[in-house]
Amino acid sequence: MSNSSIEARIVLVGNPNAGKTTLFNTLTGQNQKVGNYTGATVSRKSGTFFTPHGHRFELIDLPGAYSLDPNSPDEEITRNVLIGNQEDEDPPNLVLCVLDATHLERHLYLLIQVIDLGYPVVVALNKTDSAESQGLRLDPTALSEKFGVPFIAISAMTERGITQLKQALRHPFPSPPVRLWKGPAELEEAIKQSTKLAEANRENNPAASGLMAVLKDNPEAKEFIQKTRFEYIHRAVEVGLQRPNEELLALTDRIDAQTLHPVKGWCIFTILMITVFWSIFKFAEMPMGLIEEGQETLQGWVGGLIGEGDFQSLIVDGIIAGVGGVLVFLPQIILLFFFISLLESTGYMARAAYLMDGVMNKVGLSGKSFLPLLSGYACAIPGIMATRTIPNNKERLATILILPWTSCTARLPVYTLIIPLMFAGALQQGLALFGIYALGTITALLAAKILKPRLGKTEPSQFLLELPTYQKPQWRQILQQVSERAFAFIKKAGTVILGLSIILWFLETFPKSDSDDPIVQQAESFNGQIGEIIEPVVAPLGWDTRMGTAMIASFAAREVFRSSIAISYATDEEDGKEMRDKLSASTRSDGTALYTPLVGLSVIVFFIYALQCLPTTVIVRRETDSWNWALGQLAGMTIFAYLAALLVYQIGKLLGYS
Amino acid sequence: MVKSSPDLKLDSALTLSQAAIGCDFQIRQVEGPACNQLRDIGFCEQMLVKKLTNGRNMLCTVCGTRLALSKDLADQIQVVPA
Repeated sequence: MSNSSIEARIVLVGNPNAGKTTLFNTLTGQNQKVGNYTGATVSRKSGTFFTPHGHRFELIDLPGAYSLDPNSPDEEITRNVLIGNQEDEDPPNLVLCVLDATHLERHLYLLIQVIDLGYPVVVALNKTDSAESQGLRLDPTALSEKFGVPFIAISAMTERGITQLKQALRHPFPSPPVRLWKGPAELEEAIKQSTKLAEANRENNPAASGLMAVLKDNPEAKEFIQKTRFEYIHRAVEVGLQRPNEELLALTDRIDAQTLHPVKGWCIFTILMITVFWSIFKFAEMPMGLIEEGQETLQGWVGGLIGEGDFQSLIVDGIIAGVGGVLVFLPQIILLFFFISLLESTGYMARAAYLMDGVMNKVGLSGKSFLPLLSGYACAIPGIMATRTIPNNKERLATILILPWTSCTARLPVYTLIIPLMFAGALQQGLALFGIYALGTITALLAAKILKPRLGKTEPSQFLLELPTYQKPQWRQILQQVSERAFAFIKKAGTVILGLSIILWFLETFPKSDSDDPIVQQAESFNGQIGEIIEPVVAPLGWDTRMGTAMIASFAAREVFRSSIAISYATDEEDGKEMRDKLSASTRSDGTALYTPLVGLSVIVFFIYALQCLPTTVIVRRETDSWNWALGQLAGMTIFAYLAALLVYQIGKLLGYS
Repeated sequence: MVKSSPDLKLDSALTLSQAAIGCDFQIRQVEGPACNQLRDIGFCEQMLVKKLTNGRNMLCTVCGTRLALSKDLADQIQVVPA
C-alpha cells in the first residue's frame, strides 16, 4: 500500500457514542493501521477506502469529543489535529462529522465549531434507523440548507446510506462553508487581527488558530460565541427535526426505573456480575476441553515424529506444554471481553457507572473511574489508557495507581489452576472467582481512599455523564472488539510466552544430572538452584522451590506461572485435570501434602496483589510521565502482595490449618 | 410553597437541583466554574430540560439526551418553567 495513491486525507470527528468507530470500520474494512500520536499514548487509527468514483482516501478516526474545548488528553488531540497544531499530522482536506440523529441538537454544537475552522465538511447523520424507531422525523435537506454542508442520513451499523455517503465525498471537495454566526464589530476585528497574526506565524490553519486564540484570551467573547452558536442550533432544529411523542421514549425510562433504582438497581448489577463470572467458568468448559484434547493429540503426534531426546523434550514439554498451558484460557478471555463489550454496546455500562458513583465517591473517586477500573478486569493496559477520560488529574492518578488490583485476565490461568484444588463444582468455583475479584476491588477502593488525600489538594470531582438510550447489541462491533483482544492474546502466547517457555525449559533441563530420578534432575537443574536460593523467601508463604521459581518467572507475564509449573512438573500430558491431580498428589519432604487449600489461598492472594506485568509498568510511566510513580507502584504492590500472602499463610497455620 | 410578597419582584428562576421532578424547564443561565463544560454537553441557555430524579447525582433529559450530573453542577444551572 503506497501513500502516493492516496488522493486526500479525511478526518472523522464526532461526540463519544456517535457511532464514529462503527462508521470507520464500515468504511475502511480491513484496511486499518493503528499507531500512536507523537508524544502521547492516544491511539491514531487510520485506514483507506475507495469512493464509487474510484478515488482512494485516507480516513483518520479522531478521539471522540463533545467540543473543541478539550477536557481530556483525547479531546486535546482532536482539537490539535483540527487546528493544524498536531505534530506529525498535516491538516485534513475534509472533515467527516458524525452526528447521532437520536441526540441531534446536542451533537450539532461540535459541527458548528468544526464549520468555524474553514474546512470542507460532510455530515454523516448516523443512527437514523434508531431515530425513526423513536419517532423522530429528520429533514436532512433542511439541515443541509441551514448549515451549508451536506447531511447524509446513514446507519453505520446496518450500512444503510454508506454508498450515498461515499458519493458525497466527491473529489475535488466543495468550498469550505461560511461561518454561521457573526459577532459585534469589536469581536470580528479581534478575530481578524488574531488570524493575521497566525498567518504571520505561519500556522497551518490561520483561521482556526486565530479564532481559537481569541476564545482562549477572552472569556466574554467565548461565552457570547457559545450562546450564539446554541441559539443558531435551536432555530435550525425547529426546521430540521420534529420531536416524537414523549411516550415513545418510555422504554428507556421503564428500563432505567429498574436499573437505576437504589435497591433493585443494585440487585440487577450484582446478579449481572455474578452471572458474568459464572458464565466464564461454565461456558468455557467445553472449548477448553477441546483445546486440551487438541494439545494432547499434538503432543502425541509430534512426540512420535521426533525421536526421544532433548529436542523432543523441548518441543513437547517446553513449547507445546508451555504455550498450550496458556492458550487453553483463550475461551475464558473471549467470554470476559464478550460480556464487557455486550454491556457497553447495550448502554448498560453507563448505568453501572452511575450506580457506582456513590461508592466511588466514598473513596474520593467518581463514577468516571468505574469504566477504566472495569476495563482493568480484562486488561490493565486499556484500563489505564481509559483513565484519560477522567478530567481531574489527582483522581486520574489515583485510578491508575490502584487499577492493577482489578484482576485482569492474565491472572485467570493462575486462579483456574488453583481454585479447583480448593473447591469442587462450577457454582462454588464461580463464587470463589467472584470473591477473588471482589477482594481485589475492595482493596483497590480502600487504597484509593488512603492515597487520594495524599496526592495533594484538588478540585472536588464533578460527575457528568451521558446515559445512552438502550439499544440492541451491535454484534459486528462486539465481535470485532473480542477478536482484536483474542488475537492479541494469541500473539502474546506465540511470542512472549513462547520465548519464556523455551527459557524455562532450558533452566529446567540443564545442567544434566547423572541420576534418572526426575526429582533429582529437577533439583540439580538451574531452576532447582534458583529455587534453592529463593526458598527462604517463599517458604514462609507455604510455597516450595518450584512455586518460587514460577513466581519469579511470572514477573515477566503472569500467565507464565502456569507454564512454569507445567514444565517443572515435567508432565507428558497437559490436561488441566491431570495436572491438578499431579499437584494435589505432590508432597513436601516430610510427606505432607504441598498444595493444601491454605497454600492455594496464599498463592491466590499473592497473585491478586502483585503487579507482574512489565507492559503495565511501561504504560503507567508513559501516562503519569514519571518513573517514580511506575516503579513505586511496582515495588509497593509486590511488597504488599508478599506481606498479604505471608499473613494469610501464617494466620491460617496459627488457626490450625495446614 | 413560599408566598411571595406583592412588593417583591417575582422571580421564578431556580437552580436545576431545586427544580421539581417530571416538569419541563427552560435553561435561563449557566453560571459557575463548570459552565463551559456544561454548555459543551448540552446545558446551554434556552435549551429545554426535564428533571427525572433527585439525589446526590440527578438524572435529566436535554434535547432528548439523558444525562446524569452531580448536585454541585446542577446548582450552576438556573432554569425557569417552560
